Amino acid sequence: MSELDATGLSTLDLNSRLRDLALAGTEAIHVRNPGARHNLAVAMLHPGHVRFDGSVGYYCGGLSDGISIEIDGSAGWGLAESMLNGNFRVHGNAGNGAGAAIRGGTVVIEGNAAARLGVSMKGGTIIVAGDCGYMAGFMGQKGTLIVCGNTGEAFADSLYATMCYVGGEIKALGTDAVASAVTGEEAAELETLLTAYLPPEIRATKPPAAQFRKVVAGRKLWNFDKRNWKTWQEAL
Amino acid sequence: MAVRQQSGIFSPGVVESIQNKAATGLYEMRGFGTLRERRWSTFDDLTFLPCSLTRIPLEGYREKCSTKTVLGKRYAKKPIELDIPVMITGMSWGALSYNAKVALAKGASAAGSSNTTGDGGMLMAERENSRTLIYEVLPSRYGINIHHMRMADAIELTIGQGAKPGTGGLLLGSKVSDRIAEQRDLPIGVDQRSPARHPDMLGPDDMIIKVEELREATDWQVPIFIKMGASRVFDDVKLAAKAGADVIVVDGMEGGTGASPSIFQEHTGIPTLGAVCEARAALEDCGLYGEVQLIIAGGIRDGVDAAKAIALGADAVYIGTAALIALNCNKPVHLEDYAAIGAEPYACHHCHTGRCPVGITTQDPELMKRLEIDAAAERIQNLLHAMTLEIQMLARSCGKSDVHHLEPEDMAALTMEASLICGIPLAGTRKVFGR
Repeated sequence: MSELDATGLSTLDLNSRLRDLALAGTEAIHVRNPGARHNLAVAMLHPGHVRFDGSVGYYCGGLSDGISIEIDGSAGWGLAESMLNGNFRVHGNAGNGAGAAIRGGTVVIEGNAAARLGVSMKGGTIIVAGDCGYMAGFMGQKGTLIVCGNTGEAFADSLYATMCYVGGEIKALGTDAVASAVTGEEAAELETLLTAYLPPEIRATKPPAAQFRKVVAGRKLWNFDKRNWKTWQEAL
Repeated sequence: MAVRQQSGIFSPGVVESIQNKAATGLYEMRGFGTLRERRWSTFDDLTFLPCSLTRIPLEGYREKCSTKTVLGKRYAKKPIELDIPVMITGMSWGALSYNAKVALAKGASAAGSSNTTGDGGMLMAERENSRTLIYEVLPSRYGINIHHMRMADAIELTIGQGAKPGTGGLLLGSKVSDRIAEQRDLPIGVDQRSPARHPDMLGPDDMIIKVEELREATDWQVPIFIKMGASRVFDDVKLAAKAGADVIVVDGMEGGTGASPSIFQEHTGIPTLGAVCEARAALEDCGLYGEVQLIIAGGIRDGVDAAKAIALGADAVYIGTAALIALNCNKPVHLEDYAAIGAEPYACHHCHTGRCPVGITTQDPELMKRLEIDAAAERIQNLLHAMTLEIQMLARSCGKSDVHHLEPEDMAALTMEASLICGIPLAGTRKVFGR
C-alpha cells in the first residue's frame, strides 16, 4: 500500500501522483487529508484502489476508466461523472448528480444521495442505500439505478432505457415514469446486486428485494405524438 | 381563382405554419437556421475603408499577409496553431452522415484548420483525418469518452448554441439508426431530445470547477473553450472568462442546427454582429481582451463576414452552414428527392427528416453514398482557401500584414444601427451614432 498526504499538494500534483502510482501497478493507495477538495482522482485510467481518508468535493473520480475509489466521508457534486468503468464506494452521502452520465461501472452510496442522482446515465449500476433527492434518474438512457430508501419528486423523469428500483416510498414519479412490482426473476437479480454491493449490516436494514418497485419508461415521450400533448406540456 | 392580395400579417408562411400546428398539435421542427427576412443589423451593414492617401496598402495579391491563428494562450501548455482563422464548428455524427464528418475533417486539415466533434461523441475516422480536432463536451454527454477527450487538441465546453440558446438539440427517430443509437447509448429510433443543462453543474460557479476538471483530465495541456449561444453576451462572456476559459466562442442567432423548434431559430438570441461587439466589450471590461481569444460563429458566409468579425475583435470564426453548403447542401441535383420531403433546392431546411437529398444530414447508407468523401473534402478545402484569400485581400487593402491587425477603424457603418452597435462612424460622417 502507498500513502499520500494531500496537505500542501496542488490538485495537479496530487492527481499526477495518483496516476503515476496506478500506472506503476500500485494496488492500494491511501490519500490522507483530502480536505473535501474538488477534482480529486479525475481521469484515472489504470486499475487500482484509491481510498480517501475523508470527504471529497466536486467531480471526484470524474472521467475515469477502471479505477476503484473508496471515500471515508461524503462526496460533492458529480461523483464519478462520465465514468466508463470502475467501482466507487461512498461511506457517507453524495451531492447532486452522483453518477451523472456514467457509461459503465458501479457507484455505491451507503448514505443518501442528493438531487439528480444518475442523471443521463448511459450504463453501469448505481446503488444508494439511503434516500435520494428530486429528479433522480432524469433522462436515464441505460444501466440500473437502485434506491433502497425513499425518492424525491420527479423520480425517473423522461427515461429512455434505464431500469430503476426503489425499496422505499416514491414521493412522486416523473413524467412518463411507470412503476410496477418486480418479477421473481428481477427480485433475484436485485438481491444478488444488493448482497454483493452492500455491507451485510446495511443490507439487513433494507427491505427484501421482492418488496422493491420497478420504474421504467412508459415510452410516451420516446417519439413525438400529438395524442400525448398533455404529457408533452408537463414534460420537464 | 388568382389570389389578388396576400396579407402581410397572415402571409403564406404564417398560414402554412398555423395549419401545420393544427394538424400535428406540436410546435414545428426543422433544421438549417433562421429563415426570417433580414431586418436586423448584420456584417452587410459595414464597409471596409481601404487605404488611399492616409494609409498605404499592401500589394493585394503578393505581399505577405499572415493568417496564422493561435488559440489558447492563456493557460494551456499547448495552444492550437492554425494556418487560417476560419474553423469548422461542431456538428454531430448523427445530425451529419459519416461521410460528411470525415469530409469536414479531411478538408479542414488540408486547409490547415480545425474541425470539431459534436453532440454524439468522436468518430475515430474523424480523429484520424483531423490535424486539429476540438472535442465538444455537451450537456447530453452522448458518447463521452475520456480516451477520446485525451486525444483532442482542444476541449470545448458547450453551454449553448446560437440557433437555440437555452435548449438542447433534437435528433428525430429517423436518424437514430442502429449505429447512432449505439454511439449515444439510446434505444434505436427514439426522438432524442438533448438536455439543455449539463448533468453535473448549474451556474457559473460550478463551471469554474468543471473547467478545472477538464484541465486535470487533459493534464493542463490543451486549451479549454467555452461556447455559448448569444443572449446576454456581455455578462456571459465575463463569466466564461472568470471560469478560466482560454477561448470563448459566441454563436449568434444566425447560427445553424440540424433540428430544433423553428421558433428558437427565429426568435431567440441576438444577432452575430451585436454578439461580437458585446463579447469584445466584455473582455476589454475585465482586462482580458487579447489574453482570452474570441471565436465568432453564426451565419458567417464568406471571407468578408469573417474579416469584419475579425476587425471587430474576433480571433477566428467558425463556419457550419457555409461548410455544409460547400458539401452540396441545397444544390439543385436529385430534384425528385427534394420534392419527396416537401423541399426544393435553395429552400431546403429539412435536415431533421434524415432524408437529405445530397447525403449530408442523413444516416441512410444509399443517400450517404451521394457524398463522396474525397471530392467533398476538396470542396471544403477550396472554400476555406477562398475565404482566407478574401480575408487577406481585404486586410492588404487596409494596409495590414496580418489579418489579425484588422480593427474597427478599418470600417465605416452603412446604417445608424450598425454605427451604434459597433461604435463605428456612420459612412459620410465622422460621428459614431449615439455618442
